[in-house]
Amino acid sequence: MKIQKQQAMRNVLKGLTPLCLAAIYFYGWRFTAVLAVVAAAGVLSEYVLAKKYGLQMTESLFVSVLLFSLSLPPGIPLWIAALGIVFGIVFGKMVFGGFGRNIFNPAITARAFVYISFGVPMTSKFLPTLPGPDSWFPGGFAHWLSPLDSVSSATPLFTKSADLFNLAFGFIPGSFGETAAVLVVIGGLYIIIKKAANWRLTVSAIAAFLIMQTIFWLAGIRDTVDPLYALISGSFLLGAFFMITDPVSASQTTNIGRWIYGAFFGVLTVLIRVFSIWPEGITFAILLSNMFAPLLDYYLKERKKRKGASA
Amino acid sequence: MNSAVYPIAVFFAAVFTNNILLTNYLGMCSFLSVSREIKTSVGLGIAVTFVMATTTILNWLAYNFILLPFQLEYLRFIVFIIIIAAFVQLIEMIIERVSEGLYAALGIFLPLITVNCAILGVSLFMVIRDYNLITSFFYGLGSGLGWFLAIMAMAGIRQKLTRAKVPPGLEGAGITLIIAGMMALAFMGFSGMINIT
Repeated sequence: MKIQKQQAMRNVLKGLTPLCLAAIYFYGWRFTAVLAVVAAAGVLSEYVLAKKYGLQMTESLFVSVLLFSLSLPPGIPLWIAALGIVFGIVFGKMVFGGFGRNIFNPAITARAFVYISFGVPMTSKFLPTLPGPDSWFPGGFAHWLSPLDSVSSATPLFTKSADLFNLAFGFIPGSFGETAAVLVVIGGLYIIIKKAANWRLTVSAIAAFLIMQTIFWLAGIRDTVDPLYALISGSFLLGAFFMITDPVSASQTTNIGRWIYGAFFGVLTVLIRVFSIWPEGITFAILLSNMFAPLLDYYLKERKKRKGASA
Repeated sequence: MNSAVYPIAVFFAAVFTNNILLTNYLGMCSFLSVSREIKTSVGLGIAVTFVMATTTILNWLAYNFILLPFQLEYLRFIVFIIIIAAFVQLIEMIIERVSEGLYAALGIFLPLITVNCAILGVSLFMVIRDYNLITSFFYGLGSGLGWFLAIMAMAGIRQKLTRAKVPPGLEGAGITLIIAGMMALAFMGFSGMINIT
């Protein structure tokens, strides 16, 4: 079966490439094993269903595979990674009739599924980075995986203490691809310039996030960290640049819809991070935004119609 | 928790963290069958919210002033059902007299609500959790709005799905249940935000 070409998706893949290299540099070659397993399971599940129901395979599959792999903690057991992507592709995408019809972002569906099903491996398999002040090179390029017996494996999102340099450049425990904020921004700007992502979504998400975080920080609710720290720790930037900009599951029919959608995501992320039992909120924030996007689009369309009728 | 804030906390918990539909899976039947279009879902959502808020109060009064004093707690299921059914009938007659437009808009939904398990569920939870009158009202209102929110989101999704090539075996209820599961997954994000019992 031929895989349908999608230029926009290729640009997203290019934007994600630096993050993949960084994942190897920080945590070792095991990332390639995770990626291979996830890709194999993802391609297989899409192929089987596409064949059975006469649907088209698309390159967006590889974006889902890459995003999902990058969002996993480095010590994740391989079978959990495989199970996650199968769930994401089958129930997040193929049951709706494949690419273009899905309501929820497949990569995030996969992540949410493993996040709540395998809480311990998903939250305790964070490892310290291989390169550090003692040796900057070759880092992970000479290793299979960061040493497992290390003590400090809670992410900065949880410990709430790390210096900003390490946060920005990724020398912290975290998921494969989320740690290097600078690379996420560079890749994200690339896909925005290439028009694979709409800048309004990202800008409004970041703005809403910063405003909410500042309010909570100034009010001193539940030891909320300062906005800059919150912005570059965890995977918010990855979500804002690469995940909510998914052209299918986001509100993509009007510009005002995009502003509202992005802001909704930003606000929800902060609320879930601060108040719920989950340390990271973007997974659920994206699913919730996906869930309400069709309703938002519907009402914006209705409003437009009414305006058109009265004018 | 502070007694003045408690009803408000229960209200928000009923809408988000303990959504009657997405965490307790009550009221599924009408949720699955009426969520095809946004307009009808709005009608049903309003009706459910209204009936839930009012019958919770009525059932609270009946339970605390009739059933408890006479030690008839074991009759609460049948009494609650009768009260809900009677109240819905009464409302239907009043609406028919007062406002033809509203009656036409709500149409089949009012009688449908009589058999909506979420309504009875809310009244029973209220008894189990030992809420007072004000808290019960906020609990009923919040649960109704939570149900409203869920069916609106579902209707939006299903309306968008009309052109999707869903596999033949999954059309209709199948895909709707899958979406409901995904929505429940998303609502897990709210867990722990408000702790009430």
